[in-house]
Amino acid sequence: MADAVIVVALLLVAATATVAVATRDPARQALVLSVLGVVLAVLFTVFQAPDVGLSQLAVGSALTPLLLMLTVRKVRRRGRDEEHER
Amino acid sequence: MNGWTLAATVGLAGGLGTALWGVATGPLRRRVVAQNLATALACPAMLLLAQGYGRPAYVDLGLVLALLGPVGTLVFARLLADELAEDPPRAWVATWAVAALGAVTVIALCVATGPSRAMAKLLVIGALLIGGNVIASRALAGGFRRVGRG
Repeated sequence: MADAVIVVALLLVAATATVAVATRDPARQALVLSVLGVVLAVLFTVFQAPDVGLSQLAVGSALTPLLLMLTVRKVRRRGRDEEHER
Repeated sequence: MNGWTLAATVGLAGGLGTALWGVATGPLRRRVVAQNLATALACPAMLLLAQGYGRPAYVDLGLVLALLGPVGTLVFARLLADELAEDPPRAWVATWAVAALGAVTVIALCVATGPSRAMAKLLVIGALLIGGNVIASRALAGGFRRVGRG
């Protein structure tokens, strides 16, 4: 019974990671990845590793989505500029 | 397993499960709202886990999540602004329901802690959580669009 929270956290991580892989559009994938960061932090907390959870939260919930979204924007803008030059 | 951990388990399974469903399906406006609510639901669960394990140091995780969750949502609100402007999300019922859940959790934990410095920290986390959640929802709905362009 005490392991119920561990099972729930593991199932959530497995489901979120599967959804992240199955999503095709990069912008929507960044949204799922942000949720995955939070769920992973919960998993680390449940495993009594709050220090790892803290760094996972800092990187996963804000930094990874920011980098991904900036990259998507730059790639789209570059594609639009090249179409204009033709 | 005590009542606090049980409450955290139920909150995680129900809340994050629903948020995962919302972020995996549907139009973009539903996905951004679900992402925002996922962080707002995970924070009370972290606080409940800290109380359940009897380790006050774990409360820091809830504090960091209450600070960084809205920041992540604001990133999406800024960089997806063009796509969200055509179809703005309106989810005030869900936002206030989650905010009320966070408030109830923080009040229950404050009652269990008793008046001390730990209680002040919990109240700060609760204020950050609800304030950040409401601000992020307003940004998603386009409430700050004029500010961003001006």
